[in-house]
Amino acid sequence: MNIVFDSNATKDTKVKDAVTNLLHEVETLEASHDMPVIVFQDGVKGSYYIKCSLLAEDAAVLCDLNAKLDVKNLESYRANRELLLSHATYLKMESDSVAGREFNDIIVEYNTAYDQDTPLKVWGGQHRINAIKRGGKEKNRYHGFRIYFRLNKEQRTEVALISNTNISVSNDTFDRMIEETIFGDALRNWCRKVGFFKGKEDFPDTGSRSEKITVKRARSFIVNFYLGKEKSGQISSDDLDRNVYEPYIATSGVTIDDQYQALMKKHNILKDTDLVKAGEKYFDLHKIQYEAVKNPKTKTKNRKAYRNKALVESVMTGWSYVAGLLQDHSERLTNHYRIPKTNTKIPDPLNAEEMSQYKHDQDPPTYRGLGTRSSLKDRQRISQLFLAKSREKDIFLDKKFMNKAVSQTVGIIALSKGYIS
Amino acid sequence: MFTYREYLDYAGRCLMNAMSEEPISDWFLIPACILSWSAIESFVNNMLDDFASLDPGTFDLHERSFLLEKRLLFVNHGENIGQFILEGKEYRKLEDKIFFLISKSGGRGLKNVKGETLWQQFQNFKEIRDSLVHPRRGKEIHIEEEMVEGFIETSKQIIQLISRNVWKKEVTF
Repeated sequence: MNIVFDSNATKDTKVKDAVTNLLHEVETLEASHDMPVIVFQDGVKGSYYIKCSLLAEDAAVLCDLNAKLDVKNLESYRANRELLLSHATYLKMESDSVAGREFNDIIVEYNTAYDQDTPLKVWGGQHRINAIKRGGKEKNRYHGFRIYFRLNKEQRTEVALISNTNISVSNDTFDRMIEETIFGDALRNWCRKVGFFKGKEDFPDTGSRSEKITVKRARSFIVNFYLGKEKSGQISSDDLDRNVYEPYIATSGVTIDDQYQALMKKHNILKDTDLVKAGEKYFDLHKIQYEAVKNPKTKTKNRKAYRNKALVESVMTGWSYVAGLLQDHSERLTNHYRIPKTNTKIPDPLNAEEMSQYKHDQDPPTYRGLGTRSSLKDRQRISQLFLAKSREKDIFLDKKFMNKAVSQTVGIIALSKGYIS
Repeated sequence: MFTYREYLDYAGRCLMNAMSEEPISDWFLIPACILSWSAIESFVNNMLDDFASLDPGTFDLHERSFLLEKRLLFVNHGENIGQFILEGKEYRKLEDKIFFLISKSGGRGLKNVKGETLWQQFQNFKEIRDSLVHPRRGKEIHIEEEMVEGFIETSKQIIQLISRNVWKKEVTF
């Protein structure tokens, strides 16, 4: 067996051994023709890989669609998105596979650290592999693979990201992968601890299609809690209601949010009891909102947007910021943590329907209502709403109350742009 | 509560009706004129409410008296003797409210504003509107479609003037 390192690849005996092991397990097209196997090394992350062709019947048996980013942690996040097996594009792929289609550039990692019977962990081409497994064995064609060896966690994440960049993968999936790589499962465990996840529940592939908290939102909640807390130390109690606050949205996608990263280095989110309590209280609000809207006996329309009002970024970040801001103001914090009052006219605590109809004179005709978007304006208004709510024990978030809170926000901002006394 | 946009919308519809071929449709000019004035009032009052909703310590008492349209009273008896308090209603003229908003927000010089054509149009608009809302037998009122069309436009321009000066941005109609 002739294994050759490319001129750009540093020779590595462990990599060579791993390649040898693989070639003992499966015969490639290249090996059957006595062709040399070239080992390449990526110039950015230094990952080693070979290019080769495998028969469909071998690929079907050896490939694992449940690849893990952290091979030492059995609870590691499932890295790949869900397969869309009823999608027209996939159905065509599968029928092509039955007819003898040869697929190429399938990205896998040779890894025997877990599920040893399926050592080829698929990072790019899950749908193609599935199509081969289901329909390609009869024609048994050769398919082109790029097989990586001895990847560390960072290299593995990079491979997963690159493999998914040219297909429609949501930022929520990227966030989940990067979260796992950099911070392990702390955020997921925090979500479990405060109630957002039960058992083995995980962050969704695409937040907009699910009714679960996403990595981005959970990060934003945490960042805003600490930002609010920090701000609280900079202003006197008397000035608490004389400011407009700017809750933050954590960035999403292939790069990690700087603020979140810095806070995660500084705090243990699982052991910060104040943060955990804030999370639990917010989850209570979400749960009660969700159940109130879903209840067929209440008058609120059972819309996803109303059920999940507490998962809207502006609502979540505004609430969390205020929770941080009021940490040293126990009475107001207790009020803040109280679920807003409800009655037959306002059956859901966040009064989602009325919020979505709310408009201030300053808003353009296209404005979609209070707490429906993630814009700064909405975040400012929502934080003002919750801050105003914290001044009293039992509050209905009715239109009058919304008016007051938004008026204050608009008034303070107008004053800040120039006031002559 | 109607917004300034809704008032302007209704004013526009009334004007359209007045311009139609329907017999005796001229009377639509009256609500068109009043509604376009209400648009300015709605915008200005709501803006004053935004400021009035702020912490009481934000403004001096005389300013709060203006914002809340309450009388500033010196108390010469009882528990609050020797203090100024806000009591009862004291309505302000719309133009005073506009001046207050523009001047307090560090906006343009009021002398300049008063000297402009827009302010002259506003005064003409006010005269017609007042005579419609407070009619008298001896006072003849003459309104035409073009005039009301101009009032609607003046209403929009006044709202835009205030928005630019106070919010530092334009509103969309």
